[in-house]
Amino acid sequence: MDTSFQLAAEWYDGRSALRHAGELHWDGHAGLVLHAPTARAEFAVDDLQFADTRPGQMIYRRKSQPDFRLILPADMPPGLAARLPRPSTYGRWIDRLGLGRAAAIFAVASAAAVALFLTAPAWLGPRIPAGWERQIGDALIGDFGGRICHTPAGDAALAKLLAKVDPADNAQDKVRAGIANMDMVNAVALPGGQVLLFDGLVRQAESPEELAGVLGHEVGHVRERHVMTALLRQFGMSILLAGADSGVTNGVFGLAAMGYSRDAEREADEYARARMAESAISPLGAADFFARMADERSDSEDGPAVLGWLASHPSAGERAQAYRAAARTAPAYPPVLSDAEFAALKSMCADDPDVAEFDFF
Amino acid sequence: MAAGFSRDTNLLDGSHHADSADSAFTFEGNWQDFARIALPNLLLTIVTLGIYRFWATARERRYLWSRTRFVDEHLEWAGTGMELFAGFVIVLVLFGVPYFGVSFVSQALIARGYEALGSALGVGALLSIFYLGGVARFRALRYRLSRTRWRGIRGGSDSKGFAFGLSYMWKTAVGWLPLGLLLPWSMTSLWNERWSKMSFGPFAFRSDGEAGGVFARFLLFYLAPFVLFVGGVIMAGMGMLAGYGIGGENGVALGGLVGLIGLVLFFYLGLGLIAVAFYAKFYREMVGATRWRDLRFSFEASTLDWVKLLLGDALLVVFTLGIGLAFLSYRHWKFFMTHLEASGEILLDELTQSRTRTAGHGEGLLDAFDMGAI
Repeated sequence: MDTSFQLAAEWYDGRSALRHAGELHWDGHAGLVLHAPTARAEFAVDDLQFADTRPGQMIYRRKSQPDFRLILPADMPPGLAARLPRPSTYGRWIDRLGLGRAAAIFAVASAAAVALFLTAPAWLGPRIPAGWERQIGDALIGDFGGRICHTPAGDAALAKLLAKVDPADNAQDKVRAGIANMDMVNAVALPGGQVLLFDGLVRQAESPEELAGVLGHEVGHVRERHVMTALLRQFGMSILLAGADSGVTNGVFGLAAMGYSRDAEREADEYARARMAESAISPLGAADFFARMADERSDSEDGPAVLGWLASHPSAGERAQAYRAAARTAPAYPPVLSDAEFAALKSMCADDPDVAEFDFF
Repeated sequence: MAAGFSRDTNLLDGSHHADSADSAFTFEGNWQDFARIALPNLLLTIVTLGIYRFWATARERRYLWSRTRFVDEHLEWAGTGMELFAGFVIVLVLFGVPYFGVSFVSQALIARGYEALGSALGVGALLSIFYLGGVARFRALRYRLSRTRWRGIRGGSDSKGFAFGLSYMWKTAVGWLPLGLLLPWSMTSLWNERWSKMSFGPFAFRSDGEAGGVFARFLLFYLAPFVLFVGGVIMAGMGMLAGYGIGGENGVALGGLVGLIGLVLFFYLGLGLIAVAFYAKFYREMVGATRWRDLRFSFEASTLDWVKLLLGDALLVVFTLGIGLAFLSYRHWKFFMTHLEASGEILLDELTQSRTRTAGHGEGLLDAFDMGAI
């Protein structure tokens, strides 16, 4: 059957802006000839690529001449239409699948990706080897710029306190604790098994048991591998908010503000209470500390439960109660540090002549 | 030849202006057709967590360009979603990752006690973003021209925009220095510099806009706070008086509060209006100062036209609960094409293909900084 025919066509050769209007001859097979009073071109059907659609028109370019534009009427004979490249609508994948199916597949894949992304910190964090975490921690903060306070008596007292709440035997695994020369009532567990009590917290402490509670809590974060989880979560957030704050952290303040989940806080508290019970340390000191915090932040035990639920930390009042409930009535607890040792801790930063000031700017 | 134009000469003289149906730029699209593109785009962008937006942009532009007629032929958008995506990935790898690394190192330095070095590194990172912002503005325009075709011919630029990035940095800085007074100069000068490096076919654009034309409008920014403050005080006073009339002492407080809220609204709306008035004038001046070969351009949108456009945008987005966002590119393109005019003469014989090099990737830099091209 002879399917050859001709139809009106316009084209631009891509070298000048002159329009050529004439006919397209198709031999019914692979060859096309464009013929106009002004120009003539001959090429294969396979040379054509879809470029664009317009109302009533299809536009093609040539692979061998990307600037070439052929404009054909949209209602061309079906025989030719079947030979020409198909118009692209959404993009190759979606055109092949159909919009509905493609959207459904993408939605499922995206939901899976989001679920993976959101849960990754929780299951990936604890699986990252402690050695890696130590290296990440060292890269992030190093030696803290000499801002850790040291005196022989204070170091000995801190080591004694740490030994009671962190039972690890070999030095390799031991949590590294320090008192940072910073006047804030706070304590942080940093990546790499490093725990810092801030001097402000140490100086306001009324008993060594209080410090044991806080130290035990931070050691709990390290031992339960919460730090890596929180670091990964913050890393994920910074990817999501890329541009707003692309840094991994905002330095130490970022790490200090790095949030743990409420469950993680409870786990760390439970860890601290278990170690304190093993070492016969009174939990009442920690209870006093949280009670004072509760007063200061005015979220007392009968404060609004909603606030306690919203805040990432369990409310201080709630925590004071939990510590108080863990206390045994008899026999009486021995003091965890002597008065001299406690005093050495409290004055450690003031007594250290070499410690660097904690000013960032 | 087609459409009654002579073989090689195409006259666009004043008579085209008289008859708006015969304007040099005509937009023939409609929002129903655009919706058939924009709404599936929205769906696909959501289900791919935003990755489809590069392909969505290309589809939208193919529609908008192909429904825009310049004299006797439609435009064509020859860019693809894949190259926009590639541009984004390139920027991410070339600039995003190093920036991430630098801010990491800078934080680590600060934590180790090298505050000065760490801060310097951080400032350096910010400066390089400033520089790249200028380069990005240049390259976005170059990319759009290189992917825009009319009668098979495209535009482009021989410059890669790195020099423009430096100009952008120092001119913007100088513009801000004397209390921002030189901003009209830096804006016009940067427009001139950018457009004068662009070309379409074998011919370069020329732009020689002068800051003097827009300076009077710009001074409104300095005058406005005083006018608005005095007006606001009068309003607050009247509010208090009215309040006293209604409810004695308590009424005064209430009236004063209402007056104060009025003052704040008045202030922001007033400054916004001045910004719109300035930009309206700026575009009229600068498009009017831009030429290509024998073509002169003009842009005839008044401040009121811009206000209507922006209010329309806001209402559309609010009343469609955000879905209207998908139609803003349509509205803006239509606005642009409706008000853009050209007059002069094009010799089709000498309009040959552009010899500028084209980048194989899209607006990556610009995409990363989220700016408009023009």
